[in-house]
Amino acid sequence: MAHHIEGSRNSCALHGALQVVEAIEGGVPVIHSNAGCGAQHFFGVNRLNAGGDRFGGPPVSSSNISEKHVVFGGSSRLREQLKNTVKIVDGDLYVIVTGCSTEMVGDDIPAMAKEGRDQDFQVIYANTPGFRGDVHQGYQLAVKALIEQLPDLGKADKAPVEGLVNIWGIIPHQDPFWAGNLEEIGRLLEGIGLKANILFGYGQGVPEWNRVPDALLNIVVSVWGEAPALLLEERYGTPVLTVEGLPVGAAAGRYLRKISERLELDTTETESFINKEEKRLNTYLAGLADTYYRAGFQREFALIGESSQVVGISDFLAGTLGLIPRTLIITDNPPEYAREALVTRLTGIIEGDRTEVFFSEDLAEITDLVRSGGAELVLGSALEEDVAAELGVPFLQLSFPLSDRVVLNRSYAGYRGAATLLEDLGSAILSENYNTKILHSRVRHGGFDSHKQRHADSVVHAV
Amino acid sequence: MSLLKTKASRTREKRLDTLNAWQGNVSSAVTEFSDGEPVKRIRTFSQSTQDDLLYALRLLAGISDSVAVIHAPRGCAAAALFHQVTSGSGRWIVTNLDDRDTIMGADLKLRKAVKEVYQRYKPNVVFIVSSPVVAINNDDIQSVVEELHEELELDIVPIYVTGFASHHAVTGYDTTLHALLKYLGGKRGQLRSNQRVNLLAVAEHPDDRREAERLLNALGLELNILPDGALPETFRKAASARHSLSLDQDTENYLGITLRDEYGVPYAEVSRPIGIGGTGRWLEEAGNALGLEESVQVLHKQESERANSALKNFSLKGVRVYLGLASATAFSVLGFVEEFGGEVIGLTVSRLDQLHKERLEKLSELHPALQIHVADGQPFEETNIIKRLSPDLYIGDSIHLGQIGRLGIPVVSLEDVPVLGYNGAISLARRFSAALHNRSFGEVLARTPLPYKDSWFRRSPNWHIKKEVK
Repeated sequence: MAHHIEGSRNSCALHGALQVVEAIEGGVPVIHSNAGCGAQHFFGVNRLNAGGDRFGGPPVSSSNISEKHVVFGGSSRLREQLKNTVKIVDGDLYVIVTGCSTEMVGDDIPAMAKEGRDQDFQVIYANTPGFRGDVHQGYQLAVKALIEQLPDLGKADKAPVEGLVNIWGIIPHQDPFWAGNLEEIGRLLEGIGLKANILFGYGQGVPEWNRVPDALLNIVVSVWGEAPALLLEERYGTPVLTVEGLPVGAAAGRYLRKISERLELDTTETESFINKEEKRLNTYLAGLADTYYRAGFQREFALIGESSQVVGISDFLAGTLGLIPRTLIITDNPPEYAREALVTRLTGIIEGDRTEVFFSEDLAEITDLVRSGGAELVLGSALEEDVAAELGVPFLQLSFPLSDRVVLNRSYAGYRGAATLLEDLGSAILSENYNTKILHSRVRHGGFDSHKQRHADSVVHAV
Repeated sequence: MSLLKTKASRTREKRLDTLNAWQGNVSSAVTEFSDGEPVKRIRTFSQSTQDDLLYALRLLAGISDSVAVIHAPRGCAAAALFHQVTSGSGRWIVTNLDDRDTIMGADLKLRKAVKEVYQRYKPNVVFIVSSPVVAINNDDIQSVVEELHEELELDIVPIYVTGFASHHAVTGYDTTLHALLKYLGGKRGQLRSNQRVNLLAVAEHPDDRREAERLLNALGLELNILPDGALPETFRKAASARHSLSLDQDTENYLGITLRDEYGVPYAEVSRPIGIGGTGRWLEEAGNALGLEESVQVLHKQESERANSALKNFSLKGVRVYLGLASATAFSVLGFVEEFGGEVIGLTVSRLDQLHKERLEKLSELHPALQIHVADGQPFEETNIIKRLSPDLYIGDSIHLGQIGRLGIPVVSLEDVPVLGYNGAISLARRFSAALHNRSFGEVLARTPLPYKDSWFRRSPNWHIKKEVK
């Protein structure tokens, strides 16, 4: 039996499916549920990723069922809604996604999708009631629906793309850096002569999805990418390669070598690309050294986020940057079988370390763990801001939900992402120093207050 | 019969004949509400919009020293996460109903959640928020409320929202206010009357609440502000106050009339204090009701001089404005636009009902042909209308302003800015000036297409609004 959760950050299956459909160009979700389900998604997911809204508001089609449909069934309402959606909303693919109420009522969704297809519209469906799981299950259900139901899957009209590889397991919006991370992973794979099918974000539409069976390899970046990769292996015999977590910094080189070896690519080309990238990152790291020593970067840290983020970022912070992982909290509920491997992986980054790894999505529990761990630096979501303030240590928001930053195509993956992460982390440490030293001295000398007063005056005069 | 005997308030459509799908001019809107009950319309195509559960979560996030237990599958709490991380208020847990719970019911789970949350935080009050799944299954919340109330000696307030029983999200405010008074208001006659005045503020911007408080304090009034920022005991005090003052009849109406009819606290609905003249009229009403006519005159003179001097270079002369706002706000902002010489050429309001009849009649005398569109979050209709009118400025408070912006016109959002009182007028003027002064962002947004087909914009905007066949 699922336990209650304080401050849940994993939303529901319907919302996970919406994140998938909205991240595909030309994808139009058609929500069959009561009016609020789409607005909940907009408030609770899109808005907490500042800058992640494709339609300019909540989803553009929703049947908004009322009491009548709960009592007598809502299939006819869905038929009407679907018929009008294809007339009004521009799109290449219409995806019916369901909420709890219509699933409890038992509306016949497959039949409605088939009616749409019989009229020559591209319509597929996914049953995604919130009582069936969180965003991660929603991602898997929607991706499964795409692979199983896309009418033109595998029937690419153009010649097959050479060296195509699919990327699975990065969930749009649940990873706030999804767009930038996918772009960077694409860039790295291109660097060794491959073509990444990143499937979500700018320029990624139905044609890209139709090419999924043509790939040489399915690369799995998080445990949530396993199911689609296994489904494709079963259907098309495409091999699977798992990278353990988001590749940040040096980890990128390790995985590029692994992929290169598996696909028997030109080793010289791979090595030359990795060398070039590492050299550039090393130059930046060397430039940072003075600030690193002066501001005391080498701290014990707490990191709260999704499994692939925690693995990738801890690996970089500890393995490259010399920070000390203290409390690592994984919030995405990975399946039991994956947990032991995660713990082994994370506690093994530095030998003999006293890193503690936890699995929780309950805010009260997470807060207690961070507090008792006593880190000198907290990296997490907006929900960890209070406990970081309580500990009086620098804090950086990097996992969902975000409240104090805008993310458009920023990335924490790869070599470029590693440098970006360093910029953000370093800024958090320096601004903490600034706030404690400089602002306090201003307030003490009265300078800060008079500055504030001048600002307030200029606001009134600006009108 | 006492209003508060029932489990929940009546829906807005039953109580006030509320419409949320309608288009026409002001004079036909007056006719609609004059000839008996208006004919209900529905949409054959609709877009996501808010529901009563979302409104309940918004209101409850503002109540201090409380925890909300959202009795639902996990996604129904998404908006609570938004309120928590963006306004830093509102502790909540979700019971996380799963497949099995939808079949077997989840009373035990609810009981456990309430107990644990009480042990951990010892709040003054726990809210239990219902949801579509719980409403469909007809899960028994009431016995959990009654048993745990005794066992824990704790106020537990059940909020019976459903997500589908009403077409109007605002019903969620009514349902929540009904429950708050029913469980926290105390019994009539057992309360000693006090000299405080209730200021009714539902989901107002904190600066707006402070502005109203500042003005009323300047008149020497001691206030009881609710439900925003209220403590559980505020509701008991409110039930014995000497008067209730209104900030927004749309949202707080149920609270005002229940305090009046159930506890005998006088309440008069006035339009929102928006704009300098509008704020003056609002203060005047308050002064008349409380015998403070002279102090009000002095205060208005002093404050309006200050505001006018801050606004001396501000004018909307020659500016054609479209409004897409909650109804009461729309009518008051219309007054503000006209006060500064602008022209409102059309408006989309979230709903129309018996509460707006008087405002519509007055408006009809001045602008009988002005077009009104009634919709809660249906941007496909709104963009179709605005494309035809091409206004110079759009003022809105909905969650789809990102779409309006793609029409290339300057947009000002009132969702999260102070609008009330003299300071609100200054803040509004700043926003309007900036939007009109530099339009480059709108021009860039216009290069991203709207999500609709071109053929839709050749259809009439009300194509999908039909009279309901019962």
